[in-house]
Amino acid sequence: MLEARLQTGALLKKVLEAIKELITDANFDCSDNGIALQAMDNSHVALVALLLRHDGFEPYRCDRSLALGVNLVSLSKVLRCAGNDDIITLKADDTGDVLSLTFENTDNDRISEYELKLMDIDSEHLGIPETAYDAIVQMSSNEFARICRDLQVLSDSVQIDVTKEGVKFAAKGELGSGSVTLKQNSNVDKEEDSTTIELNQNVSLNFSLKYLINFTKATALSGRVSLSMSSEVPLLVEYKMESGYIRYYLAPKIGEDV
Amino acid sequence: MGIHGLSKVIGDNAKEAIKEDDIKNYFGRKVAIDASMSIYQFMIAVRQQDGQLLQNENGETTSHLMGMFYRTLRMVDNGIKPVYVFDGKPPTLKSGELAKRTQKRKEASASKEEATEIGDTEAIDKFNRRLVKVTPEHNAECKKLLKLLGIPYVEAPCEAEAQCAALAKAGKVYAAGSEDMDTLTFGSPVLLRHLTFSDAKKMPISEISLKKTLEGLNFTMEEFVDLCILLGCDYCDSIRNIGPTRAISLIKEHKNIETILENIDQKRYPIPEHWPYKDARELFLKPLVTDPATIEIKWESPDVEGLVEFLVRDKGFSEERVRKGCERLEKNLKTATQGRLDSFFTVAAGSDKKRKAEEPAGSKGKKPTPVKGKATGAGRGRPRK
Repeated sequence: MLEARLQTGALLKKVLEAIKELITDANFDCSDNGIALQAMDNSHVALVALLLRHDGFEPYRCDRSLALGVNLVSLSKVLRCAGNDDIITLKADDTGDVLSLTFENTDNDRISEYELKLMDIDSEHLGIPETAYDAIVQMSSNEFARICRDLQVLSDSVQIDVTKEGVKFAAKGELGSGSVTLKQNSNVDKEEDSTTIELNQNVSLNFSLKYLINFTKATALSGRVSLSMSSEVPLLVEYKMESGYIRYYLAPKIGEDV
Repeated sequence: MGIHGLSKVIGDNAKEAIKEDDIKNYFGRKVAIDASMSIYQFMIAVRQQDGQLLQNENGETTSHLMGMFYRTLRMVDNGIKPVYVFDGKPPTLKSGELAKRTQKRKEASASKEEATEIGDTEAIDKFNRRLVKVTPEHNAECKKLLKLLGIPYVEAPCEAEAQCAALAKAGKVYAAGSEDMDTLTFGSPVLLRHLTFSDAKKMPISEISLKKTLEGLNFTMEEFVDLCILLGCDYCDSIRNIGPTRAISLIKEHKNIETILENIDQKRYPIPEHWPYKDARELFLKPLVTDPATIEIKWESPDVEGLVEFLVRDKGFSEERVRKGCERLEKNLKTATQGRLDSFFTVAAGSDKKRKAEEPAGSKGKKPTPVKGKATGAGRGRPRK
């Protein structure tokens, strides 16, 4: 039995916006720790790992681990019926076939209830090894979204180079080339906009912009984003939330003959 | 051709072994393609509006080249790296099957004359397609084309499907691309069908996994091969009155053909007089192939001028199209291929099963097990009720 009450319903709406383009169906794995989700896109290029920790809900109750298979498009449609300030309560029985959602407005005079049919989803859970990344860039999530959007004009892939001076995003295509460099600047007044780099080794990697732009749908969830990279391993893009995170992994583009 | 009714058997008994996917999700995959079968397919499918084979000014057939050129481009455009495998000498066991095919061709030829007599154009067209024969010249021209395109090809010592399977088994390529189901019987871990179909057909790629097939049937590879022989293969007859369902249950019970023969009523199920099932089994399990380790597969830049010379001057293709095609080939060769997460992260085995095992324990009479039916909708999941 799961019961989870979320004070700011908008959070759930934003989470759905952040993943529904990438994956269509997924299991929400509920345990006493919180609600987690892990899924790959169809072509197995990107992976989303989401965690909403139990302390983000008030109250949160989950006696036994439960996997709720949900069609994300349907869920996001139902969530569109909730107001941004609504309190959302999720409920599911251990053996039930539905996920029930209750939306209460702040004045507590309008209560709506929805039930969403659950699905059986064959999921391939991937074990993600703990990686010590060579470079970790922390930056403004808005800035990251803008860079991806801007460079998309030129090419469908971006080269990311990280050195101790800064991080450079470069794209080259038929109509020309372009790049954006962000220098390390931890001393700015607004901490939100600073860029910091932890570096063990310079890295240079190539990624699909289409996927990165997809990831930036999570921008609304956090003002900051971190990009963790090592040569020839998937990029980790993480948006931290107050009690939880959304992580995206993206396989790099590989040069000739590997 | 292939194994009689095997795709249906797999569909019925090991549904999870078959996966349908868009061709664009196969980017970066290397695939060994059964060239001889593809060429045959092109000669049947690539036709003019009136059903005639494509020809150049001199009346030479160009259907096979047209098909090879554009379907290869289609794969390359989708990021697939094809390597073609040509048939060598057919195994002696196949002579019976080949004789049957010659016989059928003769019949078609006779029927065609009949149809011509009464002027039934539809029937003429139908029999024309049955008369298609791939000649050594067609094969040679296709090899020339591939060389100019910079696409590698391999000449198999014997059956092309077997060589494709060997390449896939050795990890030289991701999968074997063929319509022939016996590619699985030859031990290819993954078989891709519909790979060389035209874009216009909008046919998704059907990916069949050998491992999941065996799991679904609960067979070993040897049992699977015996099942294929019972279903009917190219190399020997099958037993009359034994259909797919009976074949499966017989193998389940007796494990191999020898034991089945000892136990079944030979009056009801007459064993063919000369029945070299042991040889057929040997052929499937230990086919004559070139050792994949000695084969080097390399994709190269296309020889544009050579292609123009061959396709435009000799075969009457449009120069503009050929040059455009070359540009696409060149571009795709250069661009970096998108990697996949599966090659970095490993599937955590059991996580999924564990959950399934936990479920029944807590269910009080109510069963949350899925209704095994047709997968509905575009998603991966099935409705629970």
